[in-house]
Amino acid sequence: MLNEVELRQELKALIVQTLRFEGLTADRLADDTPLFGEGLGLDSVDALELVVALEKAYGITIRSHEVDKSVFTSVDSLGKFVARTLVAASTESAVNAQ
Amino acid sequence: MLSSPGRQQRRVVVTGLGAVTPAGWGVKAFAQAILSGRTTIGGFTRFDHVAQRTHIAGEVPPEPPTLRRVRGWHRLSNTDRFAVGSALEASQQAGLAWPLADADAAVFFASSTGGLLETERFVHALFDPGVATATRGLLASYSLSSPAEAIARRLGVTAAVETVSSACAASALAIEQALRAIRRGEVEVAFTGGSDCLCVTTYAGFNALRAVDEHPCRPFRADRAGLSLGEGAAVLVLESLDHAVARGAAPLAELMGAGASCDASHMTAPNPDGYWAAEAMRRALADAGLDSSAIDFLNAHGTATPLNDAAEAAAIGLVFGDRAHAVPVEATKGVVGHLLGAAGAVEAVATIVSLRAGTLHPTPESGPVDDALGVDLVLGRPRTSSTLRTAMSANLGFGGANAALVLRRWSEESES
Repeated sequence: MLNEVELRQELKALIVQTLRFEGLTADRLADDTPLFGEGLGLDSVDALELVVALEKAYGITIRSHEVDKSVFTSVDSLGKFVARTLVAASTESAVNAQ
Repeated sequence: MLSSPGRQQRRVVVTGLGAVTPAGWGVKAFAQAILSGRTTIGGFTRFDHVAQRTHIAGEVPPEPPTLRRVRGWHRLSNTDRFAVGSALEASQQAGLAWPLADADAAVFFASSTGGLLETERFVHALFDPGVATATRGLLASYSLSSPAEAIARRLGVTAAVETVSSACAASALAIEQALRAIRRGEVEVAFTGGSDCLCVTTYAGFNALRAVDEHPCRPFRADRAGLSLGEGAAVLVLESLDHAVARGAAPLAELMGAGASCDASHMTAPNPDGYWAAEAMRRALADAGLDSSAIDFLNAHGTATPLNDAAEAAAIGLVFGDRAHAVPVEATKGVVGHLLGAAGAVEAVATIVSLRAGTLHPTPESGPVDDALGVDLVLGRPRTSSTLRTAMSANLGFGGANAALVLRRWSEESES
C-alpha cells in the first residue's frame, strides 16, 4: 500500500488529470489548499468528476450520503479518506476470505 | 418629424458598454479595429477545421489574466466568458453601485449556441476516448440561457433574467425587450446584449449552405461570396433617463426606439423584396417618433451573402426612398465577422462608437461596391462628419427574423 505522501502526490495528479482546466497544475496544489470556494474554486460539478475518478482509480465506492463534505476540503483530507476507505475494504475482503 | 406616443414614454439611455470581439477584450480594442477598417478575420484554432470547406474566422484572443481570477471562471463556457467579460466592463463604465436593489436590474440576453462548443468537445471525447476525456463539466453550461445566468450570478442581478435566441437578430431583439421593460417601469436598469462562440456546428452548417466565403467577407461588394463567422459578445447597460440622472451617470447614447418583424417565408433565405426587413426598420422609426430623414447613417446587417445584401439593399430602398443612395452604410462584419447571436449587440456598440467619434467606420476595401445594390457603403477609409446625430442598426436573421434599433448620440441638450 502507498504511504500517505505518495498517496497525496497521486491524488494531486488525479485532480489535475481529471479536471483539466487552465492554470491547474499539481504544484498549485499544496496538501492543505482548500479545493472549493476561495481556494482552487472547484464546484459541485468538479466534486462529481472527482468522485467518479476516485472510484475508478481506487476501486472504491463513494456513496454521497455516507461521505461528509469535509472529505473534499483539501488533498490532505481526501488522502485520509481514501486511505481509510482502502483499509476498510481490505479488512472486509480479508474477513470475507476467512 | 412624426408625433409619437413614444415621446410620452420613459426615455432610455445607454450608460455602459462592454465588448469582447476578435479585436480583443474591451470596447477600446473593438473601436480601434473598426475605425481603422482592418479585418480581424483570419486563421483560427478554436477547433480542428481541417475537414471543413473554409479555414478562416474571427477568433477572440485569450482573456486577460485578471479575468481568470473571477470565481468560477473555469466552469464557464467560452460563450459565458465572453458574456461575463463584457458585462463586467459595461457595469464598470456605468459606475453602478453593487449590489443593486433587488427589483432594479434585469438581464435580457441573446445567444444562438450557448455552450455548444464545449458540448461538441464532450461528445467528441465520448466517442473518441483517444483524443480527450469526456469531462462532465463540459456540459455544465451547454444551455442557451447559460450566458444570461452567468452574468446574473456574477453581478447579483435578481429581477427578470431572460434569454432570446432568434438567430442573428437575437441580441437586437434582446435589446428591444430591455427597452420595453424599462419603459414599462418594470426595472430601472437592464444588462442586455448577446454572446456566441465559434463551434463546429455553426461553422460546418454555414459551410454546408455554401454561405461562407473562403476569404474575409466582403459586404455589399460585387464579388461578395458569403459570410465569415466570428465570435464574441457585447453588453449594453440600458437605464431609464431618470435613474441615470438621479445617480449622476453620464449617458453615452439614447436608445430611441426598436422594431421587429418576421418574413414568415423561408428557413434561411431572406425575402428578396426586403418588405418585412423594411417593416422592422419602419417600426423602429415609428417607435422612436422619427421619420427616416432623421437617420444620419445605417449600420447594416451586411453579412456579405449574395441574398442578404440584396434583400437588405431592397429594404433600404423601401425605407429611405429618394435618400436610399445617400444614406451612408456601415458594415461591421467586414472587420470582425458574423457574431450570430451577438451580432446585433456588437453592431449596436459599433453604431454608438461611430456616433460618439463623429466618424463612420469603414469596411476593409477589397473590391468595388455592387452598383446594382445602390448603397453608399463606407469603404476603405473612415468618414468623418460633424453632423452625426441619429443612426439605425439593422439585423436580419435566419427564419426571417428582422430587428432594427434607433440610437442617438447623447449631448447636453438631449436631456431637455
